[in-house]
Amino acid sequence: MLEFSGISKSYAKSPVKAVDGLELRVADGEIFGFLGPNGAGKTTTIKLLTGVLRPDAGRMDIDGIDIAAEPLRAKRRFGYVSDNPELFARLKAYEYLNFVADVFGVSSLDRQQRIDHYAGLFEIKDVLHGSIGSFSHGMKQKLLVIASLLHDPANWILDEPMVGLDPKSAFALKEIMRQRSRDGKLVFFSTHVMEVAEKLCDRIGIINKGRLIFSGSVAELRAAQGADSSLEKLFLELVDDEAEAQP
Amino acid sequence: MKVFLSLARLYLQSFYNLPGARRRSGAASGAQRVAASRPAANFRTMLKAVGIGLLAVFVLANFGFMFVSLNLVLYDSLAPLGLQGFVLLNAVILASVLTLLVGFMTALSTYFMNDMEFQLLALPIPPRALLGAKFTAVYVAEALLSLLVMASAMLIFAIKRQPPALFYVAGSLAGLLVPLPVLALVYAAQIPLLSFARFLRNKQAILVVGGLVGIAFAIVFNLYYQGMMANMSDSVWLLRNAGPDSVLAQFGRAWPPAYFAWQAMVAPGLVGFGRNLLPLAAICLGAPLLLIVLLGGRYAQSLVGFNEQFIRKMTAPASSGFLADRLRTGNRFWSLVKREIVGMNREPMYFLNGPFIIVLLPVLMAVMLGVQREALLEGESLQALTGLLANGAGTVVVALAGAFLGSGTSITCTALSRDAKLLPYLKSLPVPAHHWLLAKLVHGLIFAVFGVAMAALIFGFFFRLAPLDLAAGSLVGLALSFLCNLLGLLLDTVNPRLSWDNPIAAMKQNPNAVIIMLGVMGLMGGIAYLSFRFRLTTGQFVLLCGGLPAALFVVLLLALPGWAARRFTALEV
Repeated sequence: MLEFSGISKSYAKSPVKAVDGLELRVADGEIFGFLGPNGAGKTTTIKLLTGVLRPDAGRMDIDGIDIAAEPLRAKRRFGYVSDNPELFARLKAYEYLNFVADVFGVSSLDRQQRIDHYAGLFEIKDVLHGSIGSFSHGMKQKLLVIASLLHDPANWILDEPMVGLDPKSAFALKEIMRQRSRDGKLVFFSTHVMEVAEKLCDRIGIINKGRLIFSGSVAELRAAQGADSSLEKLFLELVDDEAEAQP
Repeated sequence: MKVFLSLARLYLQSFYNLPGARRRSGAASGAQRVAASRPAANFRTMLKAVGIGLLAVFVLANFGFMFVSLNLVLYDSLAPLGLQGFVLLNAVILASVLTLLVGFMTALSTYFMNDMEFQLLALPIPPRALLGAKFTAVYVAEALLSLLVMASAMLIFAIKRQPPALFYVAGSLAGLLVPLPVLALVYAAQIPLLSFARFLRNKQAILVVGGLVGIAFAIVFNLYYQGMMANMSDSVWLLRNAGPDSVLAQFGRAWPPAYFAWQAMVAPGLVGFGRNLLPLAAICLGAPLLLIVLLGGRYAQSLVGFNEQFIRKMTAPASSGFLADRLRTGNRFWSLVKREIVGMNREPMYFLNGPFIIVLLPVLMAVMLGVQREALLEGESLQALTGLLANGAGTVVVALAGAFLGSGTSITCTALSRDAKLLPYLKSLPVPAHHWLLAKLVHGLIFAVFGVAMAALIFGFFFRLAPLDLAAGSLVGLALSFLCNLLGLLLDTVNPRLSWDNPIAAMKQNPNAVIIMLGVMGLMGGIAYLSFRFRLTTGQFVLLCGGLPAALFVVLLLALPGWAARRFTALEV
């Protein structure tokens, strides 16, 4: 379970808040899609949630653990796929996976089984001996996804996970999300792909200029907007309304 | 022309990391832009500029001193024979050879800078403008180097002979013009080479080849310099190697730019000046123009498909066997250390400018000791030196050389900066902040041990030091390099360079590496002064210069966890 209480964040004493008073609760077993225009505060929120950034105000709990007070305990409760897969270029893929598994204390047997399963699913088992620097963007993305699942986390946090994935791998990723949700585990991801959010998510949150302007199911959004449109249209209307409302 | 000028400016800013390039760089976040506008940030920028300026003066003075002393000794030796004019020919040839070697490495390492080249290829830029702009950017550094060499020779003539103003004009123009045809030759060789040698069209291979050429160059130059300095009193040797019939002089006469540059300086009057400068300018300006016209298109084509990589796939049974074999539980802290070691040493840019110093400097030192062995180790000098070394100086020399090699790898003082792109990901992992920093420190200390061992090996072998002196010197070297490595890590934690597009910026252009290098040199100077000024015994030296740094190292290490956690957590990329 994830819980944000009054989270705010500004960069370098900038008067504009990147995240402004965020209040949100995501329950176990939920797939939660985090939407918003470029620069709205999605990645900042995820970085705050994963302990990469420190909030100026507020509190975040992961499975009831305050990430600011007990960062190590909280970080063991989630797997994270960052928005930038261009990491560890000099490591070989299996070295990177071993590194992450060692950090999370995953046994040899568990890591072998999980890597075998997920690498097979994403069809990169035959290149795990290769250097990550020689991988395509999509292959790096798949590797990050596999690494994030090595310790079978209760909470899975993904920042733009579909970027660079081929249709088959994107389908596999969505299936993993659904399976984890069925197993009672939480999935929290940011995306620009409205169709994915519409079909996959139990609930969505829309953030604009650092403020959460909607949180609920797509059906609730339709009811609130009084229109039976696609999520894409509803999203655009909501963001435009918000822009007009602000001075 | 406008395209060429814009492109040349872009390359100049990227090559030399000028402020314009950093301002344009997309890497700077909004937060950093805000910070840059604040007075404190401006002061820091100013301070950094002053520091870099001082460093540039220091480096120039260093090389300038080397060239001036070489030319002075050469002048004093050749003047009695009436051959002092050959000092100028020697300088022109030295400028040409340095341009050839340094220019070869620079042109090769910047042949394909990064993926920016692909974006440029996709723009409607004439290939000749592309090559011309790249040539111009590389030329700037070569012209400065050539001017430095020529100025060092002109300075000797200014003091000894007070030549007319035309001499200085000719020398300066020669300094600017001489690198042009050499650099054109470099590109004329590299463009066909990189067009056809597929294995070289890879940034990694280029860095390795460039590094090896650099090492060979450093060794050859060191041999030349040490050989000259060691044999200046031998007139027969001097005539053979720097006189009118020497290979050098014959080469100078056969290479028209060198010949005309030399004659422009020594020929009397305006007529002699003009008669030599005009052909010099024609050759020097014509060569790059010819290169750009003839090979511009070929150059642009050679950039297509640069840095292509492929992965050899395993068969299904092989991959299953591989995973079962390689995916094994490891010690968590050792995993962090392994990541540090692999991440640095598999990146040629980091390795060649970092840990490789442990091999390179001792090789250069061995060349110097080998060439100057007779002068250093024979007769009265040997007796004086061995006497000095036996009375404790050997311990000091090993300790200081060990401290320098063990601290000069720039491993810890660039550790956070090199990880800038990874920091967000690393911070999301459940690893205590001080473990990250300790892993970085252990990485530095492992190489510090190698550095100290290398120093003990070289000096122990050449100066035949007693085992006890070697052990004492090594102990002090270890204590000093451990402390310097820890201080470097603290410095890079306080002030890491987190915004960069090219690994060069994290390592070579990192002010922390410069600060630590200068600090180590200052510390070495201070310790050498103290130990000789107060005639410290070996025991006192070990206690004072080894014990105190060791104690300080332990105290700082104990303070690291709490402090590091706060600093590391506060870092935002």
